[in-house]
Amino acid sequence: MKLGLEIHQRLDTHKLFCNCPSEGGNGKPKSVLRTLHPVYSEMGEVDKTSLAEAEREQTFEYLFYENCCCLVELDEEPPHPLNPEALRIGLEMALQLKSRPVDEVHVMRKTVIDGSNTAGFQRTAVIAMGGKVESANGDVRVSTVAIEEESAGIVERKEGRAVYSLDRLGIPLVEIGTEPDIKSPEHLREIAEKLGLMLRATGKVMRGLGTIRQDVNVSVEGGARVEIKGAQDLKSLALIAENEARRQEALLAIMKEAGKRFGGKVGLGGKILDAGDLFRGTSSKLLKTGLDSGQKALGMKLEKHAGLLGKEISPNRRYGTELSDYAKTTGVKGIIHSDEEMKKYGIGAEEFANLCKLLKMEKGDAFVLVIAPESVAKKALEKALERARMDYIPKETRKANEDGTSSFMRPLAGRARLYPETDIPPVRIGRELLDEIRSGASESLEQKREKLLKLLNRDMAERMLRSRNLKIFERLVEMKIEPTLAAATLEDTLTMLRREGVEVGGEHVLALFEEYLKGSFVKAAIADLLRETAKGKSVEEALEEKQLRKISGTELRKIIKENSKSMAAIMAKYRLRVDSKEVAELIKSM
Amino acid sequence: MYSSKISAMLKKAGISIGDRVRVEKGGQTHEGILMPRAGESDELVIKLDSGYNIGISSAGATLSQLEKAPKKAEPAPEHYPRGEIAILGCGGTVLSKVEYKTGAAFPAFSPKDLFNAFPKLKHMASVHSKILFQLLSEDMHSRHWSVVAQEVANEIRDGAKGVIVMHGTDTLHYTSAALSFALANLPVPVVVMGAQRSSDRPSSDNESNILNSILVAKSDLAHVGVCMHANSNDDYAFFHLGTKVRKMHTSRRDAFRSINTMPLAKVDHRNGTVEPLMPYQRRDEKRKLDLQNHFSQNVGMLYSHPGIKPELVSKFADYDGLVLVGTGLGHVPTNAFNDKLANNLVPSLKSLIDSGIPVVMSSQTIYGRINMGVYTAGRILQDIGVIGNGADWTPETAFVKLSWVLGKEKKMEKVKELMMKNIAGEITPRSNYEETFIDF
Repeated sequence: MKLGLEIHQRLDTHKLFCNCPSEGGNGKPKSVLRTLHPVYSEMGEVDKTSLAEAEREQTFEYLFYENCCCLVELDEEPPHPLNPEALRIGLEMALQLKSRPVDEVHVMRKTVIDGSNTAGFQRTAVIAMGGKVESANGDVRVSTVAIEEESAGIVERKEGRAVYSLDRLGIPLVEIGTEPDIKSPEHLREIAEKLGLMLRATGKVMRGLGTIRQDVNVSVEGGARVEIKGAQDLKSLALIAENEARRQEALLAIMKEAGKRFGGKVGLGGKILDAGDLFRGTSSKLLKTGLDSGQKALGMKLEKHAGLLGKEISPNRRYGTELSDYAKTTGVKGIIHSDEEMKKYGIGAEEFANLCKLLKMEKGDAFVLVIAPESVAKKALEKALERARMDYIPKETRKANEDGTSSFMRPLAGRARLYPETDIPPVRIGRELLDEIRSGASESLEQKREKLLKLLNRDMAERMLRSRNLKIFERLVEMKIEPTLAAATLEDTLTMLRREGVEVGGEHVLALFEEYLKGSFVKAAIADLLRETAKGKSVEEALEEKQLRKISGTELRKIIKENSKSMAAIMAKYRLRVDSKEVAELIKSM
Repeated sequence: MYSSKISAMLKKAGISIGDRVRVEKGGQTHEGILMPRAGESDELVIKLDSGYNIGISSAGATLSQLEKAPKKAEPAPEHYPRGEIAILGCGGTVLSKVEYKTGAAFPAFSPKDLFNAFPKLKHMASVHSKILFQLLSEDMHSRHWSVVAQEVANEIRDGAKGVIVMHGTDTLHYTSAALSFALANLPVPVVVMGAQRSSDRPSSDNESNILNSILVAKSDLAHVGVCMHANSNDDYAFFHLGTKVRKMHTSRRDAFRSINTMPLAKVDHRNGTVEPLMPYQRRDEKRKLDLQNHFSQNVGMLYSHPGIKPELVSKFADYDGLVLVGTGLGHVPTNAFNDKLANNLVPSLKSLIDSGIPVVMSSQTIYGRINMGVYTAGRILQDIGVIGNGADWTPETAFVKLSWVLGKEKKMEKVKELMMKNIAGEITPRSNYEETFIDF
């Protein structure tokens, strides 16, 4: 199996082609309605992905929020020049990967007419090529580093209409694509994690849910390149790759079997017949509701496909599901095929038999059935037939499902999908800019790791390296806070408090340690104090209210006397207020 | 355009644009198609196999040819029989695609491409098409208006049931006004339309504008008008009277608005309806078109501004007519109160008018009516013979009308009379109240 990885990471700066902040939408959105149609590229080709989308007649509803959307997201104003900050961050990452910047950046339009971009294309630009990710399991070559704009997020799909939210449209992403040098799901996970860490180590990327996405390209011997989008985390990424390899192997086996049955040629017919009359008075709720509302029940015979449609190719997904996925691109909810349990649709044995008769099925034949408005139903069956006729594994872009399997999204996009964005002049990358980036660059991942290893034990150093609190840790160390205490507070204490439901911000930690340096309280009181300051109290107030001010000197001597110089007794009562070292020293001196 | 240095290098190596090439530089090798580029430059643009374009500085690069560009067969010219609707192309975004000469969207599509681009169009009407010009709309002037009017008239005389004029949007409202004056006694609809988003993008508004325009062209509304998006949605459009419409936004789809009036109709191709919003002239194919397509090519326009100098007005001495875009109700500096610092345009304006050059007033406020009776400045301007009191035209319509009037008449009194007579809906008798004449 050959695996390639594509990482998309959101950058911590304003949007790529306008000055809107990269933040979520607030308040009540307004909406506009749009349609999209395919166009020719500058090479005079039409992209097949676009044609596939165009087959589904759709209206797109775009929700826009005033705090983070302007006329650019609405495709009502030409894009502003490329955000120079985003380009710099992208170049910084490229340099870290030893990828070579291009001399001139050309922004391209990547046609996407599924509605996820108001313009009908996503703007994207290669900024560097080559380079590598080093790994114990084998280095992986980087093919390209690109910056591109985030697409709009899907909110809802209805019949003939898709609703998208424009808040995230235009947020800058850096995209790092590798060559198919990755050898196993485990290797994949390692490379993905390493790239993620490198990106975060710059401190210039966004963090949190949805800010990083990994797509994986999978192909097996005799199979095809399939790109799977939308893996939620590293664990599922490896599982998705594993499942895809298995799916391709299963499809190869099905193709072999089909080849035998057909004697080497696929001559599938595809007569579509109206089976509505067979289901008058049916007890199938699905069919009844559809027919009553004027929809048609159309059926089609698939010669010599009995048993094939029911073959499992991924966990809980059959070959029939593949046909169904293709049919769904026309807007239907799914198809029924003869390898399925008819009972689950409420279709009776007699209805089944009559349908087979109507479609003139012979032994070994299968059928597909669909309920939808006539024109849609017809297109759906044609799509299912198109897939059934493929005697090869199609190159596809697929969507990751939550269970680690994937579903067909669209054919893999070709180069006809890209044409120049003429609204943005090319941007030259000069030597001065690169020198400036090099001198202003944050430390690389390796430099950071080395530094942390000098301050912390290996385990804590690795944790800190992955932590979103890394920046605060660095600040605390600069303040001369003992590194182990700083790390333990940020990683352990904060986690403990979060589990209690107390969210502590970085500013609270910094304020508290400033006071700590003055000797106002002891380490043991940190958690209790943070619990209070997170609620908005000042450190001073928290110290007074919770009576956590450090006891030392004369007062401490008094306590030692009262407790007959017993360390254990003193610590039991005053653990949160006294420094054990000081107690020990005083006991000795008294 | 590559720099002369690169062009010479390509020529020497026998490489032309479109060839598949290899570029080696600094230990890296790139293969792809050599693309044309915008502007004079030393960066080679290569289309990689992934489809991405990148720029590589030619300094230190070695270039070799891998494959000659495949020769594309010239498509055979297609002939469409005459249809009921004539489509005339004048260039513009509605018919444009990427052009490398300038690196920008450039008019290049022929209208016949529309059938391929918009299959729905075929089901709505039979059409035929003709390209009149391929130019950017800002390059159009009154001589072009004469040609367009003549061509529209020819189509109507040859039996077209409606005519669509595709046009760049920047000056679309000038042309719609020009056609409104030039095509008197109009028997069928004439629709001027364009697109605000270039046709090379899937989101272009050209599709719904074209489909809506076809509906109008087939409708009962025998007017010259502009059919464009009514709002930001790709749904219905407005059909605006040709003399009362103006481009009011640099980029939005709904940039064209009716000024000082309602649109003539609301048009929705999704359900095939044309809903009139104003009284209109009905289609009558027996009505005989009266073509009056002579325009003066020598009319000027002057936008008044604080501190405007009398000398600037005098520069128009060799023009046939001048449109002032005045402030407020129709004013320019007259220094009515003899301020020490203020300028006074009256003597230079008077000398223009006295020498036989008509001067017409319009307002920078765009909305509202000229009234030169309220303030002293206006009265002074009326006294010296500035034309336009009481008109509610846009500056652009005033400009086109003066060009048209001067194409027929030279005598000041006749010019004045024609200017102040409503010819094509440009002067309304009453200012109707609208709750919001403009948003915000």
